[in-house]
Amino acid sequence: MRAEIKKIQEMMETADYVTDPAIAMSVHLAMTLKKPLLIEGHAGVGKTEIAKVMATMLGTNLIRLQCYEGLDASQALYEWNYPKQLLHIKLEESTAHSTSEKEAAIFSPPFLIRRPLLQAISEPGAPPVLLIDEIDRADEEFEAFLLEVLSDFQVTIPEVGTIKATQPPYVILTSNRVRELSDALRRRCLYMWIDFPGFEKEVRIVTRKVPGVNERLAREISRFMETVRTIRLAKVPGVAETLDWAQALSSLHADHLDEELVAETLGCVVKDADDVKRLKRELASGGIGRFVAAQS
Amino acid sequence: MPSPRDLTRAMLAFGGVLRASGLPVTTPELMDAVRALEVVDLMDRDEVYLALRTVLVSRMEEQPAFDRCFESFWKFQAEDGQGLDGLVSLTPPTLPDNEHGGNPPDAGQEKQAQIALDDWDEGEGSDDEPLEVPGLSNREVLMEQDFSTFPAEQLDEVARLTVLIAKRLARRVSRRRKPTRRGGIVDLRRSMRANLMKGEIIELRRRARRRRKVRLVLLCDVSGSMDLYSRFLLQFLYALQNVFGRVETFTFATRLTRVSDLLRGPSYKGALRRLTEVRDWSGGTRIGEAVRDFNQEWGRLVDRRTIVLILSDGWDTGEPDVLAQEMLTLKRRAGRVLWLNPLLGNPSYEPLTRGMAAALPLVDHFAAAHNLSSLRELATHLTLR
Repeated sequence: MRAEIKKIQEMMETADYVTDPAIAMSVHLAMTLKKPLLIEGHAGVGKTEIAKVMATMLGTNLIRLQCYEGLDASQALYEWNYPKQLLHIKLEESTAHSTSEKEAAIFSPPFLIRRPLLQAISEPGAPPVLLIDEIDRADEEFEAFLLEVLSDFQVTIPEVGTIKATQPPYVILTSNRVRELSDALRRRCLYMWIDFPGFEKEVRIVTRKVPGVNERLAREISRFMETVRTIRLAKVPGVAETLDWAQALSSLHADHLDEELVAETLGCVVKDADDVKRLKRELASGGIGRFVAAQS
Repeated sequence: MPSPRDLTRAMLAFGGVLRASGLPVTTPELMDAVRALEVVDLMDRDEVYLALRTVLVSRMEEQPAFDRCFESFWKFQAEDGQGLDGLVSLTPPTLPDNEHGGNPPDAGQEKQAQIALDDWDEGEGSDDEPLEVPGLSNREVLMEQDFSTFPAEQLDEVARLTVLIAKRLARRVSRRRKPTRRGGIVDLRRSMRANLMKGEIIELRRRARRRRKVRLVLLCDVSGSMDLYSRFLLQFLYALQNVFGRVETFTFATRLTRVSDLLRGPSYKGALRRLTEVRDWSGGTRIGEAVRDFNQEWGRLVDRRTIVLILSDGWDTGEPDVLAQEMLTLKRRAGRVLWLNPLLGNPSYEPLTRGMAAALPLVDHFAAAHNLSSLRELATHLTLR
């Protein structure tokens, strides 16, 4: 293994991110090839976390753009500070400045609100990490717009001129696959699919992130989660749920799982009323219940 | 150490293999792959694999095909100490032949289908007048009569009526979309510009959020007796199509067939004739498998602004579990999922087939589509919220 990749893996572990070679490779390539990295996977498997860890590793800023339906350029790129402009116009009313002077004044950088994309491009110093979170929530039109920004990292503001990134930011995009992304965007990005962690990895994550949990409990939790994920649920619990649950169990000073404890804390594992019901039924009818009983 | 030129040549060959397996890799991606190989340990096969996968795969579904190509293309001969030169087999290996990477729908298909309805002219008049149908005297009876009970010679007439109702509905719906002057949010950017000379904001400029049209995806059961109902539904929805952004149609009995293109002809009758030609008569309906095939190959046609309609009587010879699982996947992606079951028109019918029972909890709306009035009723459900 290349020393750089090993180093990334170590640095990620230091930043409390339990990683594997595939993730380390993706981060390595995103940093060396300077290409956007598209990360897909179920909710709660640590997609967003990667951008945070990357920013920590590089010692740069993390700039986050949270996508939502209806997100447009004025929210993502820039907007003029209208209240400030209005105040300025009022204050300048009695002065002898001409209209064009006034216009030039209020359409100058001090009146510009830099939204995440512009911020990432115009950041002085080391290139930041730009996290475009849940891109699948934004509209298809926004995706096309984003593609344009990502291809040349420059933005033209009619009143100010063209702003070009001296050093393009590191870009991480995440998607929960709510909507299928365009091929154009996919092909422009490096790609990584993060699956639910395997048993051993989840044990490592739990012991790492929740120090109050002993080895035995961590293994029981992970085994339980592994089983739960094989049941058909409306929302399959991710690592985030595992950690919530481990945290709860730890604060209850539990050192092993038993049926009563599981029933009491089930709300940490699944967060959908139907899922809770289904899981309870499974527990009662022996599915996972047998598993828990066998352990206690 | 292989020279960059060898790497490039190897990558281009590998790209050919991937494309032949349905992975639409681009040349810039292959160039990136070369750059990626320069920053990894070429002697470490796992590392080469991970690097190439990161660059060349762009959706999870492509990974199995990629893995097969990688296995067959890059032969590892580290013992010989040959490095990457030895990794490259010069003759492209035989490709796995079961790969059919779904081609992205081409731009031409985005264009709305145009189906001219020959020998039928659009009725004039206001929307609110009763739907008078010349030649068919007892309208109420016709509206309620099950499609399957019409005598063959009357079917053309009923089809015409279907289209007439659809056109009326379409006009009504499009009228509702007229923008209002006061609606929408204040557009500060344009307001500032417009009022710059006035010193303060006098006139607000507004903008309404542009609404994208809803898309429709139809999955029509064309096995046995369902065929007739499918025809009427298709006719109805195609007459309504200018209300929608796009209509995609699939038929299934035992296997799924995309028929959107077939329905795109100058004559609707010809289109329906062509539909008959692609029908599979092998008997039995496997809805679960059909929906699974749809999810796998055409899932990208569905987003939250898509309404999925499934027309089937729910007599399924497949596994109910498969159907339930696939319906869940579909429901997650789609804006709404509607299930149309003509048998529902029969008052004594209870959706007790195993398939139906499995699918029902995962359906947003369950309706009949067995007569004209139920089709008209259906139109009110073809909105997202």
